[in-house]
Amino acid sequence: MTPLLRFLARRLALLVLMLLGLVVITFLVSNVAPSDPAALAAGPDATRDMVETVRHEYGLDQPLPQQFLRYVSDLAQLKLGRAIQTGDDVSDDLARYFPATAELVLLSTLFAVLVGVPLGMLAALRRNSWFDHAIRILAVSGVALPAFWAALLLQLLFSVILGWLPTSGQLSVATAPPPVVTGMVLFDALWAGDVPTFREALSYAVLPAFVLALPSIAAIVRVNRAEMIEVLGADYVTAARAHGVGTARVIGWLALKNAMLPTLAMIGLRLGWTLGSSFLVETVFDWPGIGLYAVSSALASDFKPVMGVTLCIGACFMLCNLVIDLAYGWLDPRTRSA
Amino acid sequence: MKRRDFLAATAAGALGAGLATAPAEAFERVGDRRMLVFSGGQPVPVLDPHVRYDWSTRMMQQSIYDALAKYEGNPAKVVPWLAERWETSADGLTWTFHLVANARFHNGDPVDAEAVRYSFERALKLNKGVAWMLKAYLEPAGIKAVDARTVQLTLSQPYGALLSFIPLWFIVNPRQVIAGAVGDDYGQKFLTDGDAGSGPFRIKRWDGQAVMVLDAVADYWKGWQMPAQQRPAGVIYRVIREPAPRKAALLRGEIDMVTEMTPDDYDQLAKAPGIVVTDDTGMTPFTIQMNTQKGPTADLNVRKALAYAFDYDALLQIENGAAKLLDSPFPNAMTGHVAIKDFPRRDLAKAREYLAKTPYAKGGLSLDYTYVAGLEVERRIGLALLESLQPLGIKINVVAQPWPTLVARGAKPETASDLVAVYVTPVSPDPDVLAAQYSSAAAGQFWAMHQLSDKTLDGMVAAARSEIDPAKRLAAYAAIQQRIVDLQPCIFGMLEDRKWAMHSYVKGFQYCPVRLTGEADLYAVYAA
Repeated sequence: MTPLLRFLARRLALLVLMLLGLVVITFLVSNVAPSDPAALAAGPDATRDMVETVRHEYGLDQPLPQQFLRYVSDLAQLKLGRAIQTGDDVSDDLARYFPATAELVLLSTLFAVLVGVPLGMLAALRRNSWFDHAIRILAVSGVALPAFWAALLLQLLFSVILGWLPTSGQLSVATAPPPVVTGMVLFDALWAGDVPTFREALSYAVLPAFVLALPSIAAIVRVNRAEMIEVLGADYVTAARAHGVGTARVIGWLALKNAMLPTLAMIGLRLGWTLGSSFLVETVFDWPGIGLYAVSSALASDFKPVMGVTLCIGACFMLCNLVIDLAYGWLDPRTRSA
Repeated sequence: MKRRDFLAATAAGALGAGLATAPAEAFERVGDRRMLVFSGGQPVPVLDPHVRYDWSTRMMQQSIYDALAKYEGNPAKVVPWLAERWETSADGLTWTFHLVANARFHNGDPVDAEAVRYSFERALKLNKGVAWMLKAYLEPAGIKAVDARTVQLTLSQPYGALLSFIPLWFIVNPRQVIAGAVGDDYGQKFLTDGDAGSGPFRIKRWDGQAVMVLDAVADYWKGWQMPAQQRPAGVIYRVIREPAPRKAALLRGEIDMVTEMTPDDYDQLAKAPGIVVTDDTGMTPFTIQMNTQKGPTADLNVRKALAYAFDYDALLQIENGAAKLLDSPFPNAMTGHVAIKDFPRRDLAKAREYLAKTPYAKGGLSLDYTYVAGLEVERRIGLALLESLQPLGIKINVVAQPWPTLVARGAKPETASDLVAVYVTPVSPDPDVLAAQYSSAAAGQFWAMHQLSDKTLDGMVAAARSEIDPAKRLAAYAAIQQRIVDLQPCIFGMLEDRKWAMHSYVKGFQYCPVRLTGEADLYAVYAA
């Protein structure tokens, strides 16, 4: 077995263990909460035996350890149980809602890179100028602004006052969604060659994706700036300059390329975080993703969907980290032995 | 062009294209007819009319399905719908419904007596949603299709409230439900987002969490009320969970009609040009329930003292005047409502008198007031309560809890809060619905977190329920209202006005108090 494969196998085994830990914790937390999902699902006027009907149907009348064992054994067959509010399979629901979140997260990462990397680079080149300070203030507020509040303000500005963008949702209610290929409306519209729908979907996605990108932009700006400063002062850059390599080439090719390594790591990390912070943004913009799904389920004490979403995000997060580690080893041979 | 430049240009172009698109038409159109767009904050996870109801779910069910009768008008009246008339036997046990001849399901099948029988049986056997309304009085064997257009319900004992529930039992097409059934699920999976109805609208596109698009049935068997040219192409229910974006979408013209806004939002919307805000007395009593079994509030004199110390006018201020104080445990629109004489209002002298009869004559008492986290109106009422009780030396801790936690804690006297803020919307205008909330059988339900247990009252409620003589019934419920007030299980607060905000071109909206909070009758509205 090559070292890389061994490394991969060890990490994957660890990942399964971590997921199991996550299952235990989410299951415990869900069941510690003092609420009765069956009573909530049965409705406000339900008699006690009506509540018991629901409780029995969903196996909630069994002892907790038994419920846990059943959940884990179902999980091993990739079954996530049924949502008590709708009776739908949680895996079906996740398959339906995940693409919308993925679309939002990918778009927001694109924003974060397109805005964050150039700003970080410029800040490094004009270190300690008014521009650098302005970027710093922006970066700090990007991290500090609660997404909820920023979302409402931007919504007010761009949708109500300026009228440029729609307020919320994924598509106009009158527009039929494009045929499902990936489930991501933007990609599906492109795939179908439906430019008007693509443009419309984009106009709906811009604002939530931007709000979701704010903390990532801030993080990427900071990391990229610091790395650029370090690299620009490195001996090989000085040597390249001494050999008469043009400024543009030094910055764009030599420095940026080397500074990108930690920045890439940061982008990968943020991908996981962004997935987790989609909850608030999806709620404000009524974006039909897993965040909104989890919030509406949690409000009804419907734990199977909440656990499904937690596991899904947890798994994505762990996979992101794994991919970053692998990419690191590939990009920087020095880390391979570690 | 270099690769980097190309990427930058593509990204800029994509952004520009997105920003340039700003669909802000005032309404959606299909051909030359308008689609009306309604918005509220509550999704419709299950459409099945025999499994679930709440205001948004009921609104969609009422649009897609028909019942034997329907609620209309203010005050609410039960008007014939799928049944053109009905009669009841002298002993009140047998109800016979005669169906209209021309009703058709959306797939063309006739709505016959068998469909009605099947629907009632399905609701009872599933034992979910609406089942509680009739299950104690009606067995599946008691439902009979006498002929194609006659249905008979035979009850196990007389039930004065029966007719008030008939409009809430929707009729499904048995052939479609049986065809859609998976295993022994009685078609539940199919009806979660499927259509087996005969109502004025049929499903065009359904995502219960976000957007529900309904097409109007052009040749609806009952016909349409508006001028033929103005009949909408359909209606859309769009879920926008936060009030702020919902308001923004209305102002921007993305939607035509909204509900579930805060009092301040309604006031602002009423001043916006081209927006109309309706305002009618609601049917949802707001009360502060007191734990009658545990803690200081188990003492009737403490409860009376609190009821006389509370500043009721603060409720009207918090609602910006859009509310009416309760003058009985029953809302005004409920059958049999009587204004109770000497109903508690703020009277500190009287409050002190009652408090003097308790161990807390000098105060020194601390009570929890629990409300649903996020409900600003309830929070402010808590602060008003805190202020009201200061002169008596009673301290109030205002505690916010998520709804599921609050309900779970309220299930037992030991864990129920001293005081808890609750809105309870009665599902029908029949007084039994509200009287039953104060019988000891209800204790621990969310509408009975007061845990009241009074044998006299239990007897009165049971007797009134089986009374079928209208005059005697009303007298019985008048006595029940008085008894509830004497026991003072709650601080009886107010009826919030129900409001909807809509563009002025939206016509035909009819208020009917028995509909649940945000529920509107979409069959009646159109744009002109």
